[in-house]
Amino acid sequence: MSQKQMTIPQTTVSSPEHRPHISRRTLLKGSAAAAVAIGAAALPSACATVEQPVPGTSSGPLRKAKVIDCHAHLNHRSRATWEADDHKLIEAADKLGIDQLCCSTLTPHWPATLDGFRECNQWTADGMRRFPGRVLGYCYVNPGYGREALEEVRRCVEEREFIGIKLYNEYTCTEPVVYPIVELAIELGVPILHHASHSHYFVEDQPRMSDGGHLAELARRYPEAMLICAHISGGGDWEWTIKALRHAPNVLLDTSGSVTDEGTVDMAAAVVGVDRLVFGCDSSMTAGVGKIRGANLSTQDKEKILGGNMMRLLRRRKS
Amino acid sequence: MIVDVNAYLGHFAFRQLRHNTAAALLALMDAKKIDRAVVSSVSAITYRNAQAGNEEVAEEVRGHSDRLIPFAVINPFYAGWQDDLQICHEEFGMTGLRLYPKWHNYQLSSQCCRELVNAATERGMVISIPIRVEDNRQRSWLLNIPDVPPEEIVELVKACPKARFILLNGIGYVKSPLGRKDNGLPANYLIEISRLSALLDNEIGQLIASLGAERLVLGTGMPFSYPDPALLKIEVLAASKEDKEKIAGQNIAPWLHL
Repeated sequence: MSQKQMTIPQTTVSSPEHRPHISRRTLLKGSAAAAVAIGAAALPSACATVEQPVPGTSSGPLRKAKVIDCHAHLNHRSRATWEADDHKLIEAADKLGIDQLCCSTLTPHWPATLDGFRECNQWTADGMRRFPGRVLGYCYVNPGYGREALEEVRRCVEEREFIGIKLYNEYTCTEPVVYPIVELAIELGVPILHHASHSHYFVEDQPRMSDGGHLAELARRYPEAMLICAHISGGGDWEWTIKALRHAPNVLLDTSGSVTDEGTVDMAAAVVGVDRLVFGCDSSMTAGVGKIRGANLSTQDKEKILGGNMMRLLRRRKS
Repeated sequence: MIVDVNAYLGHFAFRQLRHNTAAALLALMDAKKIDRAVVSSVSAITYRNAQAGNEEVAEEVRGHSDRLIPFAVINPFYAGWQDDLQICHEEFGMTGLRLYPKWHNYQLSSQCCRELVNAATERGMVISIPIRVEDNRQRSWLLNIPDVPPEEIVELVKACPKARFILLNGIGYVKSPLGRKDNGLPANYLIEISRLSALLDNEIGQLIASLGAERLVLGTGMPFSYPDPALLKIEVLAASKEDKEKIAGQNIAPWLHL
C-alpha cells in the first residue's frame, strides 16, 4: 500500500491557459447572461446589474473557491474523435470557469468486461497526465469481477491517485456483490459516484438500475461510506429521488444531467441541505452550470455546491 | 432586445411550477433581463377543452402586453376550434399558436391540423410546436407521450410553405433534414435553442453553419426550466456579437411585429 499522502491537484484559476470566459462572480450569481454576452450596448444596465450584490447574499469580495465538476467523462478511444473531444471538454470547462473535472471513462457496452474497465482506467490515468490538475480520476469497475475489481480499485487509488470509484448499472447497489467495493472505498476514504435513476416504468435496457431508494438503503448499511447519487437532473423523477434520499446523510446528490427543470436545485437544497449537494455536468455543460446560476440560493451556498462540498469529500481520503 | 419564444403560464398536471403567474414570470424576466416572452397556457396541455387555458392566459396577461405575448393552444380535433381560434386572435390578441399533437392525440398530417395551420396562417399567426413538454424519463405513471418526430415536422413545413413555424424544445436537428443546408425545405421555420448544445458537440454552432444564425431563436422554457441554461448558451457560444443579437431577439422580432 502506498504511504504517499494524496494531495488534491491545484490549479491556478487565472493562468493564461486556463482563463475562464465566465467570471466567478457571474457564475455564482445567476446573472443576465445573454445581456452580458451580446454587449452593454444592447442593454445598458446589464453589466452594472451583474456586479450588484444579490439581496440576501454576501456583498463582500468572493473567495476564489474552487469549482469542481463531480461527474464528467473522458471519451472512450473507440470514438474516432476521442482526443479532440477530450480537449473540447477542457475548453468547455475553461469557458464555464470549472477548475477541475472528476472523470471516468466508461466502456461503450455493458456489462463491462475486466479488460474493458481496466483499459478505461488506463485511459483515465492518461487523461490525468494529459490535463494535469484539471482531470481527477474515478476508477470504474464492474463489481461482478470480485477480487480483480477490488485490485483494480486499490491500484487506481493507491498508485494512480484516482480520487474515487465510479459504479454503473451492472448491479443494483444493494446487491451483496457490491458490498466489498463499498467496504474498500471506506477503507481508502474515497467516494463512490453511483449511476442512478428512478422512472415510473421499467427501464428495459438497464434492469439493475439503482435509484435513490437503493442508495439510501446502501447508506444505512454503510454509514461510513461516502456515496454520490449521480445526475438527479437526468435520472428520471428528481422529486422522487430527492425525497428518497432525505434521511440518508452520507449520500450526496450530484446536480448533473441534461434536465434543467426549474426548482430542482432549490428543492434539493431545501430537503437534504446544501451541504449534501455537489455540482456536476455529466457532459451537459451549460445545463450543469445554468442550474446552479438559476437556483435561489446564497453565494455561500452556491460555493459549497460548486466545489466546497466535493473538496470536503476528497479531503477524507486515507491513503 | 432579448425575447424568449418559449415561456408559459399556469399549472402543469404532473409537477408544481413556480413563477407561473404573470407577475411572477415578469419578476423572473426582470432578474434575467429578458425583455419579452411568448407565453401560452400550461394547463391547456392537459385540459380537454384547451380554450379554458387560453382564457386563463388572456386574463393573466391583461395589462402586460408590452412584455408578455400570448399564444393560443388549439386542439384541431376538439369541437369549436374555429370559434376558439377566432376568439383567441380577435378578442385575446393572441398572435400565434402552440400545437401539442402528441398530447392532444392527433397527427400533424391530419386534415384537421392542416386546416388549423392554414386558418392561422391566413390570420398572420405564427405556429409553434413544442417537440416535448418534459423529459420522458420522468414521466408520470399515467402516460407516455412521445416527442414529435422530426419527419412529421418536415412533412408539415413542406406542406404548408406559407405558414411560419417555431420549433421548441427540440434537439438533434443536425441529424435531420431540418438542420441540413440545402435541405429543399422552405425557410419557414425557426429553431429554438433551449435544448441545443453550445459547447462540446455545439449543435447551435453547427446550425449557424448550415442554416445561418437567422434561423435560430432564444427560448428558455421557463417556468418549466431555469432560464439561465439557455441564456448561458448564448453567452458562451462561439459566434459574433451580431449573430448572438439575432438569436437573442432580432430574428423573432419581425415575426411578432416587435
